[in-house]
Amino acid sequence: MEAIEHPPIFSLPGIPDHVTYTWIVMIILAGLAFVASRRMDLVPRGTQNFLEVVLEQFQALIDDVIGPEGRPYLPLIATLGLFILTGNLLSLIPGVAGPTANLNTTAACAIIVFVSYHAIGIRRQGFVNYFKHFMGPVPLLAPLMIPIETISHLARPLSLSLRLFGNMTGGHILLAIIFFLMGLDGLIGWALSGSPAGAIVGGVGGLIMIVFTVGFLYPLKILVSVLQAFIFVMLTMLYIAGATEGAEHHHAEHH
Amino acid sequence: MSRSLMLALGAVFAFPGLAAAQGPAAATGGWVGPFAVIAAGIGMALAAGLCGLGQGRAVAAAVDAMARQPAAAARIQTAMIIGLALIESLAIYVLVVAMILLFVQPIKG
Repeated sequence: MEAIEHPPIFSLPGIPDHVTYTWIVMIILAGLAFVASRRMDLVPRGTQNFLEVVLEQFQALIDDVIGPEGRPYLPLIATLGLFILTGNLLSLIPGVAGPTANLNTTAACAIIVFVSYHAIGIRRQGFVNYFKHFMGPVPLLAPLMIPIETISHLARPLSLSLRLFGNMTGGHILLAIIFFLMGLDGLIGWALSGSPAGAIVGGVGGLIMIVFTVGFLYPLKILVSVLQAFIFVMLTMLYIAGATEGAEHHHAEHH
Repeated sequence: MSRSLMLALGAVFAFPGLAAAQGPAAATGGWVGPFAVIAAGIGMALAAGLCGLGQGRAVAAAVDAMARQPAAAARIQTAMIIGLALIESLAIYVLVVAMILLFVQPIKG
């Protein structure tokens, strides 16, 4: 990937770039949280107001998908969502390596989701009861259902991490290839070369490319960034709902 | 139609071998590299086209449902977005495989 993507402008020696920019995302989020919670008012203003609106959106989403019993998991879900959204949007800045465009970061997020929804399920239903769901509704089909369920559960972190990574990296490669293939630097160099023909052709061509990129590709990438963060959060909530739902069902059957 | 297709396929399969045989390919890793590039391109094209068909069907059904029941539009939209993400992840798998073929190049021929 180094063949077409420019290395980021700021990088710490000896530390991978995605780790550096993960730290930057953490600094941004922690700073926002610090500023918002430094002087908390009953009637929120400024940063506190903004963050409260954001978190209320997350809470409404959780109420919608998991139900009120999903509220204890708001910290997990909102942290993942804010981290991924900030990472996605940060990677849109030229010269910045997005942390979510690296498989290590997304796989870490997906493994956290995998471990925590199983932990939530076991905590809610007990070890035996939770894994009883893996055997399917009919005991006769258990030898068939256990491998299928195991594979489908193991595929979840894989698809979560690859979806986010692929979308982000695909967008970056698209941008890099469009700059590369259409030769933006060549056009700009031609425009600055001093010859009148070069100034006209290179200037117009460079302008068209910049308008195309800023007017079409960047809105598309912002949309994809928000959408992928939403989808990651949504699927996390669906998995948690799937892990806790069985408990309610079980409960309802007993009464 | 089929003859031109065969011709194109023949050209596709013959050319990289020729290019590898003639060019200084020994330094860059033999005949697998050009095939990997072609495989990445064809695979991504197939995946993108079929993924587009699938997403089109999904969106068409969702818009139809939203037009019939505007009150349920928000819930249908959420379900549609999740479904689109799941469909799109299949194309993303192919993108990842293509990127592995292009950039990691695990198979040296």
